[in-house]
Order: sequence, then structure tokens, then C-alpha cells
Amino acid sequence: MSTITQKICLLGDFNVGKTSLVRRFIEDQFSDRYLSTVGVKVSRKSVEVKNNPDIHQINLLLWDLEGNTKFKSITPGYLKGASGSIIVADLNRTETLQNLHQHLELFLEINPKGQATIALNKADLIPPEKLAQLLENYQSQDFPGIIGVYPTSAKTGDHVEEMFQELAAALTSEEKL
Amino acid sequence: MNSDFANLPDLINNKNLEQMAENSKTPDMTTIEEVQGIETEKATPEDLADAVNSLIPLIVGLLEFKLDNSREGILQTVRPVLDRLIEERSLEDLPKMAAAIAKILPEAIEAEIRLNPQAIAKAIAPEIALSIREQILLDASAISQTLGPEMGKAIKTQIELERDAMVDALYPVIGSTIAKYMVEVVQDINSRVEKTLSFEGIKRKFQAKIQGVSEAELIFKESIGYRVRAIFLIDKDSGLVIQEIQVPGEKQLDSDMLAGMLTAIRSFANDCIASGSELDAIDYGDWQIPIEVAGYCYLAMIVDGEPPRDFVTKTRRVLGEIVMEHDEAIQNFNGNLADVPVAIKTKLEQLAEVKQRHSQKSSAPLLLWLLIFLLGLVLVPWGIGNYRARVAHHIEQAIAIQLDATPELSVYRLDPTVKQGKLMIKGRVPDQYLRDRAQTIVQGIADQNKLQMDNQIVAVNVPATPSLIMGEMQRLTKLFNQQPQVSIQTDYQPQTLTIQGFVLDPSTRKTIGEAFKQIPGVEQVVFNLDQQLPVIKQRIYFKSGSGELDFADNFSTINAIKTILQQHPQLSLRLVVQNDGVGSSVVNQRLSQKRCQSVKTALIARGIQANRLITNCNLLFSVKNKDNSQGTWRKRYVSFEPLISPNLSE
Repeated sequence: MSTITQKICLLGDFNVGKTSLVRRFIEDQFSDRYLSTVGVKVSRKSVEVKNNPDIHQINLLLWDLEGNTKFKSITPGYLKGASGSIIVADLNRTETLQNLHQHLELFLEINPKGQATIALNKADLIPPEKLAQLLENYQSQDFPGIIGVYPTSAKTGDHVEEMFQELAAALTSEEKL
Repeated sequence: MNSDFANLPDLINNKNLEQMAENSKTPDMTTIEEVQGIETEKATPEDLADAVNSLIPLIVGLLEFKLDNSREGILQTVRPVLDRLIEERSLEDLPKMAAAIAKILPEAIEAEIRLNPQAIAKAIAPEIALSIREQILLDASAISQTLGPEMGKAIKTQIELERDAMVDALYPVIGSTIAKYMVEVVQDINSRVEKTLSFEGIKRKFQAKIQGVSEAELIFKESIGYRVRAIFLIDKDSGLVIQEIQVPGEKQLDSDMLAGMLTAIRSFANDCIASGSELDAIDYGDWQIPIEVAGYCYLAMIVDGEPPRDFVTKTRRVLGEIVMEHDEAIQNFNGNLADVPVAIKTKLEQLAEVKQRHSQKSSAPLLLWLLIFLLGLVLVPWGIGNYRARVAHHIEQAIAIQLDATPELSVYRLDPTVKQGKLMIKGRVPDQYLRDRAQTIVQGIADQNKLQMDNQIVAVNVPATPSLIMGEMQRLTKLFNQQPQVSIQTDYQPQTLTIQGFVLDPSTRKTIGEAFKQIPGVEQVVFNLDQQLPVIKQRIYFKSGSGELDFADNFSTINAIKTILQQHPQLSLRLVVQNDGVGSSVVNQRLSQKRCQSVKTALIARGIQANRLITNCNLLFSVKNKDNSQGTWRKRYVSFEPLISPNLSE
């Protein structure tokens, strides 16, 4: 029984809610105010592990990266050594959804063995029927090598905990062996 | 194998068939004999097969013969069985077959490489490492001799291709080598300097020059010291903590977060600022965070204060050792601290311990106390001494004021000194009296302050200066001359004072003698005093009814008076006029005035000062004596009374 530490990166365009997801996950809080992340912010949360007899806890070091814009791309150095990543898009902004592939490729290029999951954030702002339709367009199979696609809401907390837990589970089952 | 030797049949066809046939000729006889032997003894199917095999050379011979006639036909016949033939032949006589094939093998491989290089590479690749290892076992130096000349070029190429990776790989060796060399150089320089001047001072000057900072700053750095709070070995890419040492008793740092942020900062700096250089250190308030990078990890140390150069050197050495010994474990680190070799922690702990021991934290208070002790050693006695000196100074001042307030002592220089409970007074006074006077004054102050009195005033017989003596003499003379019945003159010749004049009262005369004897420098007083004023018996007579002075008759009288006055300059002369009482008093009065005036005029004419002559001519003295038997002329005269006039001495 031991604790392992893993680096997780949050990737995505600016203002899709990366920092809010981290905040919801770690502090269970949410704020409407938009504060742009400069550079990177590192946070940590320990998660209990149930699927691996050798490991009982995983320390997730969450690297909340500055969202990229058309003027500034992500610093690839930040991605190095990450075991997992959460690629975030804003369901209300189509271009952020279109950029998901690009982020995923960048991450997998730097970390070929990395685990990735996709968060389609701000789901609370989308009417349920439209949400279902949108989700259909972004299924797991559309993204090679990812764990899952989650319609999340940092505001309501929907699927946030679940997404992180799944990612942690993927990291620990893959791990060790 | 098939593909490797795919063109072998052709080769055999073209070049070696004749040779093979020739080789086969030799064993012909034996084979025939064997066949015959088999047939005569026992004939099983196996034996038969063997016999056929034995016949192969014969067949080859036949083929050779046939070949001359029909090469194509032979090829057609042999081709299907050729592989089996080779195989069989190999089993039968491996060395011969090998020798046969060996000759063509190089060309074969060469040709195949030319035609199908990738296939050859693929075929050989899995065995290359093994082959090299085998060769090293067989001949250790052969491989290195072969590869050696190419190593330089290979490294150069690699540096061009992947500079950072090479730097990281070579770091543990080169970093510490350079550091070691530099330490030696500096030590050498130091030892040279040490021989001529103070080591520490010169070293500091040297450092100050090198670093371009003031010596004071260096001294400051040396004195504040440094302290390692934590050491983190961090995965260079992921920023995960591989190993950490935190000094117990301090607030524990959140190593994961710290390592993450440090790594982010490093990444940012590497990506955005400059390529090929590294972030060496981060200054954060009182903290310095030196960073050393090597291999797949870097070492970050949280240090309070300014770490000295040898700390950095030692850190590099330790990191170099860690990277050398555990590079693989670090590279494969997956976030599980349990997988990290314990040796890394041991190494880091050594580093932290060494730092603690060498850190100046423990020695600083010691030095401080030593300094305080030394200061105390100096300051406390100094303070006490200072206080005592101030008290002593006050007493000395009080004495000086008191002595000054005493007029007879004020002119003499008397030095009071208060020392070790004693009040000593030094100086010189002209006599015992003044010495005692000073003693009395000083004793009073000594008693007040409970001090022991030590009177070292010397009463010396100073030969008084003549001017002083004269001054004092004149002062006394004037003083005494103000008394009635005293008219003296004094004269001083060294050690002897002469007093002349009139002192009518004997007691006054004694006082005068005592007073003059008190004058310092006067040892003897000679009195030349008269107790009575001189009496002038001469008179000047007049004719009856005449106020005119007869010079001829009275010439000697006037001269005598003049002489007396000259002898006694302090005396005045009163003129007393007397008439004969003949005639009316009015006439006598007038005559008397006239006669009085005549005498005065005559005396003045003879050089007597007018102010020495006191005339009271209006006063009429008439001789009541009616006895005129001796003639009336004896009653008409002016007589003279000497008297002491205080005015004159001024």
C-alpha cells in the first residue's frame, strides 16, 4: 500500500473553465468572475484508490495551464511528464470544441503513454435536448486514446468529481504493473 | 536464410561446378570399395541409401563429363535437389562445405547489401549487440580500437543534433571536474597570498574584487551565514518530487506544490527566455533557491541566507553521484516514492547534515557570546573607571574652586588628584603657612568624600622677585604712612629692608617692623626711625614795623631750614608768626601776615615746595610777655614747626 503522485494537465482554449473545474474539484467552490490564468497554477488533491491493491491513494498534481489563444500557444514544457490530462472545451463556443483534437494531439505527442479525458464544460448553460445532441457529436470514439467525454459544469459540479475519479482510476490501473 | 542465399545456385553454376567436380574425384576409389563391401555383406534399405549417397561423387564426376556436353541439361537436373545436396553435404563434412562457401560469402553479402540493404540490416540487427559483446569477451581491445577513432566524430554529431541531452549526460563528469579544478586553483592562489598577508583578509579582498562587491558586503554575508531548510530532488519534466529532505523543527513546506511551481518556472524560463542556458537560482526574500540540473532530474534547495560557494560545489558533486548511480531509477520514476532507491535519500541526508554542521548557525551564537564577553571584559572596567574618573574629576574641581576662593592661595598652582581612594594634592607654595592653609581646605573636602588625604604641597623658599617685594613694600609703606604720626620711607636692597622716617608711637613702630618682616624675600629689616620730629630752633626776626625779610641776616637760617626739609622730605613745615604786641592789633595782624608771607616767599624762592609750607598767617600770636628788657625785636619773629604731613607721601 502506498501513495503515488501523478501530474495532470488541464488543457484548452482560454475561458473554457479549466481553473473553475480545478476549483470545483479541490475546493468545491465556484465563482462567476473570470480570472485569466497567467502561466500555470499548480494545485493538488489526494484521491482514494480502490482498484489497485498496491496503491491506496493518488496525489493528483493539477497543472492548470494558461488557456491558449490565437496569439499565444501553450508552452509545451508544461506538458512534459504529465501522466494524464483533461482537455476542456466550452459547449457554448464551437471553436473550442473544434480545437479539442489539436490539444489532444499535442498532449499525446509529448506524452505518448498519457491518459486523456475530455471535459465539455459549461453544460449547465445548454438546454438538455441540445446537450444530448451535442454530446452525440463528441463521442469517445471520435477521439482516439481517451478515457471518456464528460459534459461537466464547474458551476453545478456535474460530472466534475466523477471525471477526476475516473482519470485517477485510469492512472492507477495503468500504473504499477 | 532462403532470401540470404537466394542467388547461391547461380553462383555455384557459374563458378564452382568444375571445382566441386574436381574435389569429388579423389574419394572415388574408396566409395566404390565401400559400395562393394556393403553389397557383399548385408544389403538393407538403409545401406542402400548410404550406397547411393556414396555414389554422389561419382555422379558429380559424371555430371562434369555431361556438363561439357550439355550445361543446360545438367542445371535442369540438379536445381531441384541442390538445396538438399548442400544440406546433406554440410552434415557430412561441415568444414569442407564451409570452406567451399566461405570463399563466396563476402561477395554474396556485398551483393545482397547492394540489392536489398534494409533486408540485410533487419537480418543482422538483432544479433549485433550480442556479437559485439561476444567479441569483447574474445578480444577486449578490438572493439574499442575499432570504435575509438569514431567516438569523437560521433559525440560531435550528437552535440549538433541534441545539444541539451549531451550536456545533461556529461554534466556529472564535467561539472564536478571543472569545479574540482577551480577549487584547486583558488586554493593555490589562496595559499600563495596567505604566505604574505593575513589569509582571511586577503581572501575577502580577493572575493570582493572578483564579485565586484564591497568587502563590507562580504563580511556581512560571512557573518549572517546560511541554513538549509529543505532539499528536493525533482523530476525535470513532470515536476514530481522524487525525494525530499526537510529540516525537522521548521514549518514543513508543501513539497509537491513547490516542486510543481519551480518546474513550471523552469519550463517557462527554458521555453521563453533562452535556449541552452539554465535557471540557476531563485531569490525569494530571505530564501535562496539554488537549482542544479542533471540528467532527468534537478535538485532544488531552500536555503536561508546566502549559501557559500563550497555549498554549491558540494551540491553539484552529490547530484552528480546520484545521477551516475540512479539515472535509470530516476528516468523511470512513475510517481511512486516507494520505488525510489533509498540510497538517494541517504545521499541527500548526508548533504543536508554536512550543511548543518558547516552552517554558521551553531557558531554564530558562540561567536556572539565570545564577542559580548570580550566587549564586557573591556567595557565594564572602562565604565567603572569612567565613572570613578568622573567622580574624581568633580572632587578635583570642587577643590580647585575652594582653593581659588582663598586669595592667598589663588595665585599658586595646586593640583588635586583623586586616585584609588586617595586625595593627593601637589604643588608649591612659598611658605609653611600657605601649605597649612591649603591642607585645611583640602582636608575638609577629603573628609566629605571619605578620601585619604595626601598633602604633597612643598613649601619652598622662593626668592621673591624684587618687583614683588618692592610692590609689597610700597603697599605697606603707603598703608602705614596713612596713620598719623607715621612717616616712613622704605628701601630694599636684596634681603634687607631699610625703614627710615618718623614713627612717633613705639607700639606702631613694632607693628611696622612685624609687617615688613612678613614680606617674602625680606629677611632683615633695618630701622632708621626717629621717635621725635626734629626741632628747628632758628627763627627769623624782623625790624619793628617792617614786614620785609632781611636776606643777609637770615641767609643761614633759611639754608638750615632748607637742609632739614631736604633731609626729611616727608615733613611739612608750619610757619608760626609772632608779633611784639606794640601798636594796634590791626597793625600787628597786617604785619604778621606780611612777615609770614615774606618768609614763605623766601623759602619757596630757595626751592622749597609750596605745599610743604603750611602758613597760618592770619592767626595772630602776640607775645603777652610785657618784658621788653631784652628789646622788642626778639618778639617779632617767624618760627618753624616740623610736622608729618600725610599729603606729602603721596
